[in-house]
Amino acid sequence: MPKVSALDMPDVPMGQLPEHLQLQRTRVVCKADAPIHTEAIQYSGAYASMGVDNSLQLESFCNNFKIEVIRLTEDEIEFDMIGIDASLANAFRRILIAEVPTMAIEKVLMVNNTSVIADEVLAHRLGLIPLNADPSLFEYLSENDSPNERNTIVYKLDVSCKKGGPRMTVKSDQLKWLPSGSELEMTPPNQSAKPKSYTSFSCSQDSMPEFSKKPLGVKHEDIIIAKLGPGQAIELEAHAVKGIGKVHAKWSPVSTAWYRMLPEVVLLKDIKGDDAEKLVKKCPVNVFDIEDLGNGEKKAVVSKPRACTLCRECIRGVNEELVELRRVKDHFIFTIESAGALPPEVLFTEAVKILEDKCDRVISDLS
Amino acid sequence: MNAPDRYERFVVPEGTKKVSYERDTKIVNAASLTVEREDHTIGNILRMQLHRDPNVLFAGYKLPHPLQYKIIVRIHTTSQSSPTQAYTQVVDDLDKELLHLKKAFEDEKNRLEGKPFY
Repeated sequence: MPKVSALDMPDVPMGQLPEHLQLQRTRVVCKADAPIHTEAIQYSGAYASMGVDNSLQLESFCNNFKIEVIRLTEDEIEFDMIGIDASLANAFRRILIAEVPTMAIEKVLMVNNTSVIADEVLAHRLGLIPLNADPSLFEYLSENDSPNERNTIVYKLDVSCKKGGPRMTVKSDQLKWLPSGSELEMTPPNQSAKPKSYTSFSCSQDSMPEFSKKPLGVKHEDIIIAKLGPGQAIELEAHAVKGIGKVHAKWSPVSTAWYRMLPEVVLLKDIKGDDAEKLVKKCPVNVFDIEDLGNGEKKAVVSKPRACTLCRECIRGVNEELVELRRVKDHFIFTIESAGALPPEVLFTEAVKILEDKCDRVISDLS
Repeated sequence: MNAPDRYERFVVPEGTKKVSYERDTKIVNAASLTVEREDHTIGNILRMQLHRDPNVLFAGYKLPHPLQYKIIVRIHTTSQSSPTQAYTQVVDDLDKELLHLKKAFEDEKNRLEGKPFY
């Protein structure tokens, strides 16, 4: 027999990966004890000996990338991203949680607090209340700026419980927006000078066109801030500024954002009859279903692989060789739950813009 | 008590360059780039994209210490390209990918505008 190189033999496909390597490259296989093939084989020369080019060109990304929105409500969005790498999906998750800016209460000026809640605890609770303000209409407030209508929102809380009356609960709808700025005055250095206010608003905020459509209040009216007994009162002024989640979690715009890889459930052998019934019953989220074949026989099929939560009930015990649980490495199911200031689809667009800005800042200015 | 201020994680102080570069004297076409005030968010993406470049032989990033907010990216290339060239090319490619991603998302969002869901 003439000598032929192993790579030229007829059953080794040249230019294309054999099936088991394609599985290793694109799927994470979840076995009973641990997942395997989890690393992403990104090195461009990984399959050079097979004649397969593993490097990613920009055009192939643009051709293969897809986004599908599954569910969109006022507070939540669930969408699929197909064709990106895990590091990009993780970067979007990190940016959504920590780097998209929001407005939250930062400074609290206490005038009177005779409630049982300590001043600092009350201030901490006020900071965590989500505000219904669009942060793109505001600027950041730095140390040498003075608070004005472009970078601060001022709220007032003035409640008291009557002596002899029942106990009352202070809810977040009692926080009133002051569009004209702070009403408190700082003590001037010399007696005759005019007292200065804590904020210098040059015009009232509700005269500005952006705010006249939607008054800047709190997102949820029924958040309990404090409880007052008879004779107790709280009087304070709160200033809200723009910030990002990295500095303090109160500025995080999402309640949470997470992603999971698309599950793929494969039956390695045909499962018929009673075994099929048992398999269908085992799965708590009904991934499997029964298909009736013609002559009274029943076969198990995979009907809803997307619902799989990887509880591994179907591979426990005897069934290890019958079912294989896999995850597709470049298909991510993203869910974003917004805390209320911005709608979730706007949040994702902001996150992409922030990542673009990061790339621009990181480009070297040395060459 | 000894923790640095939280804004130190992303504010570059006066006088420090955002990106600095050190050639490796012992290996040809190898360099370490130090990016100030960045973390895994951008580090992992740069590493992933560098791996996809056929001219790059080695690419990796590390955070020297979790309380020192900078990353060091190490790149070795073939003689056909240089580390700075590979790095600039990679960030440009990332920019274009993100533009495409944003456009795809906006198109999908506009396709569903007005249609009720769920």
